[in-house]
Amino acid sequence: MAQTTDKILIKGRVIDAKDKLPVIGATISEQDADKRTVSAIATDLDGNFALKISNPAHSLVISIISYKTQTLPIGTRRQFNISLASTTNDLTEVVIKARTQSGNGTGMNIDKRDLTVSNFTLNAADVETLQATTIDQAVQGRLPGVDIVSNSGDPGAGMSIKIRGTSSLNASSNPLIVVDGVPFNTSVPSGFNFATANNTEYADLLAIAPSDIKDISVLKDAAATAVWGSKAANGVLIINTKRGAVGPPTISYTFKGSATQQPGFIPMLTGDQYTTFIPEMVMNVTGAPINTFSFKEFENDPYDVYYYKNYSQNTDWIKAISRTGNNFDNNISVSGGGEKARYFASVGYDSQLGTTIGTGLNRLNTRLNLDYVVSEKIRFSASVAYTHSNTLFDYSSKNDGSGSDNVRSIAAIKMPNASIYEYNEFGLLTNAYLSPAQGAQGQYPAVFNPVAMANAAQNSKLGDRITPHFNINYTISPSFVATTDIQFDINNSKQTRFLPQIATGRPFTETTVNNGAIADADTYSVTTKTNLIFNPNLGEKHSLQTLLSLQSEDDKSLTVGQSVTNTASSSLTDPSAPGRTLSGNLTSDIGQSRDVAAVFTAQYKYLDRYIIAVAAREEGSSVFGSNYRYGLFPSISGRYRLSAEPFMHKLSGWLDDLSLRGSYGVSGSTPDDQYLYYSIYNATGTYLGINGLQPSNIQLNNLRWERVHGLGAGISTVMFKGRLSLDLDYYHNRTVDLLNKNLDIAGYNGFVTLLNNNVGTLQNTGFELNIFSTPYKSKDLNIDFNFNIANNINKLLSISPYYKTTDGDVTQNGKYLHVLQLGNPLGSIYGYKFKGVYKDANATIARDAGGKQILAPDGTPLYMRFNYPQNSYVFQPGDAMYEDINHDGNINAQDVVYLGNGNPKFTGGFGPTFTYKGKFVLSMFLNYRIGGDAINMTKMNTTNESTFNNQSTAVLRRWRNSGDITDIPRALYKTGYNWLGSDRYVEDATYLRLRSVTARYNFPKQMAAKLHAKSMNAYITVENLLTFTHYTGQDPEVGQTSGIFGQVEDNSVTPPLKQYTLGLSITF
Amino acid sequence: MFKKSIYQISLLALLMVSASSCNKYLELKPQNGIIKENFWQTKEQLQSAVIGCYYSLEVNNTSGSSKSPAELFYLWGELRADFIAAGPGIASGEQDIMNTNILPSNAIVNWQPIYRTINYCNFVIDFGPDVINKDKTLTQAQLNAYLGEALALRALMYFYLVRSYGDVPLKLHSTSTDEGLQQLAKSTQADVLKQIVADLKTAEGYCVPSYPTVAADKGRINKFTVDAILADVDLWMDNYADAITACDKVINSGKYALVPGDINSWFTTLYANGNSNEGIFELQFDGGTPNPYFNMFSPTVSKYRFKSDPNIIDNFYTSDLINVNNVDIRGFDVAIHAADQSIYKYVAYGPNSLRTADVSYAHWIFYRYADVLLMKAEACAYSNRGTETLDIINQIRTRAHALPTSASSPDANDQNGLADYILAERAREFADEGKRWYDLLRIAKRNNFAKQQVLITAAAESVQPLYQQSAFSKLQDHNFLYFPVPLNDIQLDPNLVQNPFYK
Repeated sequence: MAQTTDKILIKGRVIDAKDKLPVIGATISEQDADKRTVSAIATDLDGNFALKISNPAHSLVISIISYKTQTLPIGTRRQFNISLASTTNDLTEVVIKARTQSGNGTGMNIDKRDLTVSNFTLNAADVETLQATTIDQAVQGRLPGVDIVSNSGDPGAGMSIKIRGTSSLNASSNPLIVVDGVPFNTSVPSGFNFATANNTEYADLLAIAPSDIKDISVLKDAAATAVWGSKAANGVLIINTKRGAVGPPTISYTFKGSATQQPGFIPMLTGDQYTTFIPEMVMNVTGAPINTFSFKEFENDPYDVYYYKNYSQNTDWIKAISRTGNNFDNNISVSGGGEKARYFASVGYDSQLGTTIGTGLNRLNTRLNLDYVVSEKIRFSASVAYTHSNTLFDYSSKNDGSGSDNVRSIAAIKMPNASIYEYNEFGLLTNAYLSPAQGAQGQYPAVFNPVAMANAAQNSKLGDRITPHFNINYTISPSFVATTDIQFDINNSKQTRFLPQIATGRPFTETTVNNGAIADADTYSVTTKTNLIFNPNLGEKHSLQTLLSLQSEDDKSLTVGQSVTNTASSSLTDPSAPGRTLSGNLTSDIGQSRDVAAVFTAQYKYLDRYIIAVAAREEGSSVFGSNYRYGLFPSISGRYRLSAEPFMHKLSGWLDDLSLRGSYGVSGSTPDDQYLYYSIYNATGTYLGINGLQPSNIQLNNLRWERVHGLGAGISTVMFKGRLSLDLDYYHNRTVDLLNKNLDIAGYNGFVTLLNNNVGTLQNTGFELNIFSTPYKSKDLNIDFNFNIANNINKLLSISPYYKTTDGDVTQNGKYLHVLQLGNPLGSIYGYKFKGVYKDANATIARDAGGKQILAPDGTPLYMRFNYPQNSYVFQPGDAMYEDINHDGNINAQDVVYLGNGNPKFTGGFGPTFTYKGKFVLSMFLNYRIGGDAINMTKMNTTNESTFNNQSTAVLRRWRNSGDITDIPRALYKTGYNWLGSDRYVEDATYLRLRSVTARYNFPKQMAAKLHAKSMNAYITVENLLTFTHYTGQDPEVGQTSGIFGQVEDNSVTPPLKQYTLGLSITF
Repeated sequence: MFKKSIYQISLLALLMVSASSCNKYLELKPQNGIIKENFWQTKEQLQSAVIGCYYSLEVNNTSGSSKSPAELFYLWGELRADFIAAGPGIASGEQDIMNTNILPSNAIVNWQPIYRTINYCNFVIDFGPDVINKDKTLTQAQLNAYLGEALALRALMYFYLVRSYGDVPLKLHSTSTDEGLQQLAKSTQADVLKQIVADLKTAEGYCVPSYPTVAADKGRINKFTVDAILADVDLWMDNYADAITACDKVINSGKYALVPGDINSWFTTLYANGNSNEGIFELQFDGGTPNPYFNMFSPTVSKYRFKSDPNIIDNFYTSDLINVNNVDIRGFDVAIHAADQSIYKYVAYGPNSLRTADVSYAHWIFYRYADVLLMKAEACAYSNRGTETLDIINQIRTRAHALPTSASSPDANDQNGLADYILAERAREFADEGKRWYDLLRIAKRNNFAKQQVLITAAAESVQPLYQQSAFSKLQDHNFLYFPVPLNDIQLDPNLVQNPFYK
C-alpha cells in the first residue's frame, strides 16, 4: 500500500523511428493492469517528457495519432528513450483486410459473408446526394423487396414502407426501425390520434439528417427479425449513425439547395366551359332550365353587377394555390478524437417551402455522439439527438391538412367561374376574398375558397424531440462482453389550428367560425437493453458467437387539446381568447404500454463452410390480457459455403464465394392500442342534470399475438474478384392470427367495431434478385451497374367467421365491390364492365344472349333497367352502358365481374454509375413497378358529371344528342348511374421512373488545398425527372388504402415533385 | 473465483426477480375511464349507467357515421307517411325512402343506434343486480326501479324495431367481452313482442310511480310510462282488452290531464316548454345536448331538410271559409307555417318566434296523455265500445278547437268508420311526432290487411309522381312494409336472412 504515496519520477524522450526527429504532443500515460489510465502527460517541443508514476508494476503507454502505440513495462527503469514507428502503411493494409460486418442491431456483429439470412446494407454515400428529408425517401427503390410509396408530395408528409408485401392488416405496415442498436419508436399509441394523426407522425419520427447516417440495413427474413419479436413482423430497418474516429478534427459542410415543381394537374374546364356545362347537366334531369334565382352563379346577367362580375371569371384554382417550392439544407459536422475520447457532432438546418401555398417545413437537427475509452475493458458512449421542427400545413379536417376537404382537393372541384377576390356591387375588384356563406356547390366543408383557406387559415405543428442514448461496454474477458444501453425518447409536439371566418364565409352562429384549437401531444419512452456476448475461442476450425439480451420498453403518452369557437376577431387565434365555447372543448388522453423481452441467439461456424444460427425471444407485452400476454419467437437459419469445399477449389480463379442459405423464424406483432382487455366506462354528457356513464368498448379477452412464420432460402455468389455479386432469395411468409383493427361487427351487438381482433391467415411468397456488377473497369473509367427486382404474391388462407367477406355497395355510384376469397390475393377489384355510352333509344333496348330483343308479354320491347325491382331506373340514351353479363336486361349485382388487382407483379430499381478518373461521377437510378391496377378516383370524380364540382376537359366530348358516339356519358345532376364502379376507372399502374440523375465532380486535392480543405465535391441531382407510364392519372405511384379491403386508389394528392438540387460538400 | 460466483448469483437473482415481477410490470390500467373491475360497485354508478342509457337516445355514435335514435324515431315514423315533404336540404337517402326506393345500404335503415341503446340497457340488466351485494345502502326497491327503467327502455327500443323491421335479432345480453359475441338469426316479430310484453310487465312492477322532480318524472320511465308503452304494444298486437286495461291505469292514476286548448298558451306549454301536465315520457334535451331537429326543420337554416306537406290543411285540418280566425289549433304554426310550409313543433316558441340553434332543446315526446286517450279509443272501437271511442275523439277535438268540417260521424258499431276517424284524428293530433307511419301500418295490417288501402292513399300524397306507380305495387307486398336488414349486418352475419322483398 505504500507505493500510492511515494511517487516515482520517470523521464524520457520520444523520437520518430525513421527521421529521428522529436515527436511533439505524444501522450505518455501510466496504465494499470486493467488498462485504466492512472496519470498522463504530453511530450514537449523537443519530444521530452517527465511523469510521476504511482506504481512501477504498471506499464507506460506511448501513443500519438499515425504512430504505432507502444506499451512498455516500467519496473525499475526510470529513463525511457523511445522511437515510434509510423503507422501509415499499416492503416491501408487494415482497410483492405477489413470485412464488412453486419449486425441485426442486437449487438452481435457477424461478417457479412457469414450471414445466414437475407440482409441488405445501403451505405450513406449512395444516397447523400438526394434531396431527401427523411431516410425513407432516400432508400426508396434501392433495396430489393422494399416497396416504398410516398403518401403525398407535401413537405413533412410520410411514406408507407412495405417489406416483402403486406403481412399485416394493422394500420401500420411500417417496419421496426433500430437506430444505433435501440428500437426507435415509430408506432404511436392510439391515444395520439386526435392530436397528431397519421402518417405525418411517421415522417417526423424518422427525422435523422441523412448526412448523419453511416449505413442502413434491412432485415427481411423472419429468422433475422425474430430477435426483435413483436413489431418486427414487417421487417427491420437498422440505421447506424456516424461516430468519431481517432484523428484530428474533421469538419464537413454540406449544402443542398433545390427547386421543386408541382407536376401539372389534369386539364379542367374553364369558367366559360363550366357555365355552359352545369345548366345542361341540370336540364338533363329536370327538363327545365336551371333556376337562376336559387343559383345566381349561373344567372349571367350583366345588370346584376355583383353576380355577373364575381361569377364570370376563368379562375385556375389549382394554379392559384400552387407555387414553385424550394428546399435548403445546410449541415455541418465535426468529428475526431484521440485514444480516449472520440466525438461526432453535427448541426443541420433544413427549410422547405411547399408547392402548395401555406405548406412548409423548418427543421433543426443536432446530434452529438461521444465515445470514451475508460480502459481497455470499459468503454462508454453517449449520443444525444435533438430535433426541432415546425411544419406548416394547410387547414383541413385532418391535422396534417389531408382528407377530402384539403385545399388542393377543393381547388380541383371549385367552380372556375368564381372569382378569387370579391367584386363589389359596383363591379370593382376589392381585396377581400370571395367567400360566400353558401353557393351552388354547397357550403363549408364541402367547398370553400381555396386561396382564402390557404392564406388565411392556420395549421402548424411544432415538434421537439430529444433522444439521449447511453451505452456502457464492459469486456470481462476477450471472449466475454457485457453491454448495457438505455435510451430516453422525449417527443413533444404542439399543433395549433385556427379557422377564420373569411376562409369559410359561414355566419358567426356556427361553431366552425373563428375556431381556434391547440393540441399538445407528449410521449416519453425508456428503452433498455442489456447484452451478454460470449464468443469463446474454439480454435481455428470452430467459431461460436452467443448473445443473451434482456430488453425493456416503457412508452407513455399524454395528449391535451383545447378549442374555442367564435372568438371575437380573426386575429384572436389562441383558444385562451374568450369565445362562445361549447361543452367538450377540452380533451385529454393518457396512455402507457410496456414490453419486456429476453433474447438468446447463437451462431456457430465450422471450417468456414457450415454456419448455423439459432435465436429465441420470449416477449411479454402490456397490450395483451393475462391469457395471451407472452409470446415466444424462435428462429433457425444456416449457410453452407459451397465454394469453400475442397472440390470447388479449381473454380476459385473466378468464383470468390458461393453459398446457400436457409432460414425459418417467427416474428410477431402487437396491436397499437392499449387497455384492450378492459371494459372501460366513460362519462357521457348529462341527462336531467345527472352525469351518465356508458361502456365504451368490448373487452378483448382472446386477443393474441399476430405471428409471421417465415421460411426463406437463398443463394449468394461473388465472382470475378468482387466484380459481380448476385443474391437470389425466395421467401414464404405465413401470417397467422392476423390482427385487424376496428373489425366491423353486426350492428345488433350495440357496438360498431371490435377494437382489434385476430381474423385470419395470410401468406406472402416471393423472390428477390439483387445484382451488383462492375461490367467495365479500366484505369480511367469505371462503370458499375446495380439491378434489383422483387415479386410478391399474397394469398388469403383463412378468415374469421365474424369477418364480412364482401364490402362495398355496387348499387351506388362510385363504389366497387370488395370480395375476400380464400386462396386469392387481397386487393382484388370487382365492378361492372363499361361498354361506352348508349348512343340512342334503340341501343337501350334489352337484348338476350343471342342479341334478340327481350319483349314484354304484350310484345313491346323492354328497355335496360338498373337494379330492378328495388330501383325503378330505366337507362336512357346517353347513359353509361354496362355489360349485361347474364343478359337479363337488368344491370345489377349479378353483372359485377373481376376487374383487376392492385398488387404489382414486380417492383425494383436499377441504375448505372460512371466514374471517370475518380473525379467525375455520373449516376442514374430508375425504379419501376410492373403490373398492379389502380382505381383512378380522380378520373371518376372529374368525369362523374353529377354535381356542381368542376370537371376535367374530357367531359367536353360528352354525349349530347341522339346518335353521338363517345365514351363520356351525358351529364346528369345527382341522378342516374353513369359512374358506377367499373373498369372505366381501373388502370394498369405500371411505370418506370427516372428517380434520380446525379452528376458529381470531386475537386482535385490541389484545388481543395487552396481552400485549406481536405476534399471538396459538388453535384447536381434531378429527381423524378421522367415517368414512363400508360396510367392517365396524375401519378401511377399510388399507395394502398389500409385494411383487408384496402385497394389502390388514386385520390389526386400531391404527386412526387420534380426536384432540381445543387449540392456542395467540403471537408476540412 | 469467489468474485465470479457473486456475479453469477446476483445475475440469477436479478433474472428471477424480473421474471416474477414481470406480470405486475405489464399489468397497466387505463387512467381515463373506469374499468369494469371498479364499476358496478355503488348505487351512484348504477344510476349513472341508467342515465347513460337515456343519454344514448339523444346523440349519435361517437364515430359520427350513424344517426341518433332521437332522429331515427322521427325519420322512421314520418318518412314513409304523408305528412311531410322534402325541404331544400333533403338528403338523397331521405328522398329515396320517401319515394319508396329503399335499399339495405341506406344509412337510415341502419338499426345499430337502437341496438346501441339496447346494449346499454343490457349492461344494466346483466351487471346491475350484483351491485346490491357491493353497496349495502342500495335497497332492493331502488335496484328494481333502475332495472325497471332499463327493461322498459329496452322493450320500447325493440318495439320500434319490430314495427320498422318486422323480424329482428333478439339480443338480451350485453356485448361486454369478445367471448360474448354471437352471430344471431332473426327472431320472429311474435317472439320479440312476447319478450317486450314480458319485460314491460316486469318493469311495471319494478318502476316507481313518480320521481321527485317534474323533469325527472317526465324524462325518466315511471310505472305509468310502462303502462303507456304496454298499451301501444297491446294495440299493435290487437289485444284490445289488455290495451284498455293499460290505458285505464294511466287515466286512473290522476297524474295526467290534457293541456287546455288555449290558442295563446297551448303550444308553449305542451311543445315549447315541455314537461306539461299532459306529458308522460319526453326525451329531455338541454344546452349541453341540443336536439337534432334544428337543422332538420328550422327555416332559418337555408338547407333545412323537411317541411310539411302543403296539403295537410286541406286534407286534415280543413279551414273555415267564413271566419278565417276559426282554426284547428293543431294546424297553422304548429304542423305547418303558412308562408314557407315549415314545421314549427320543434323549432318555435310560438307563431312568430323561432328558436336559434343554441337553444334548440324542444323535447321528443314519446307518449302524452292525448295518445293514451286515443289508444283507448282505438281499442274500444274494436271492442264494441264505439260510444266511448266517439266520446274520447270528441274530447280531443274539443280541446283542439277542431273544425266541424274535419269531423265525421261513423256509427258506434262501424269499426271501419271508427278506425278511419281515429286515424285521421291521430294524424291531426300527432302531426310530426313520429307516429304517423306506425299508425297507418297498424290500422292497415289489422284483420289481415283489411285496410291496406290507407297506405296507398298516403303514398299517393307523398311519393313523387315519377315513382308512384311502382310505389303502389311495392306496397301490395307486405314484406315491403318493413325495412330491409341493414347491408352491414347482412354482410357480417351469415345467419341473418334478408327480408324477402329486398333479396
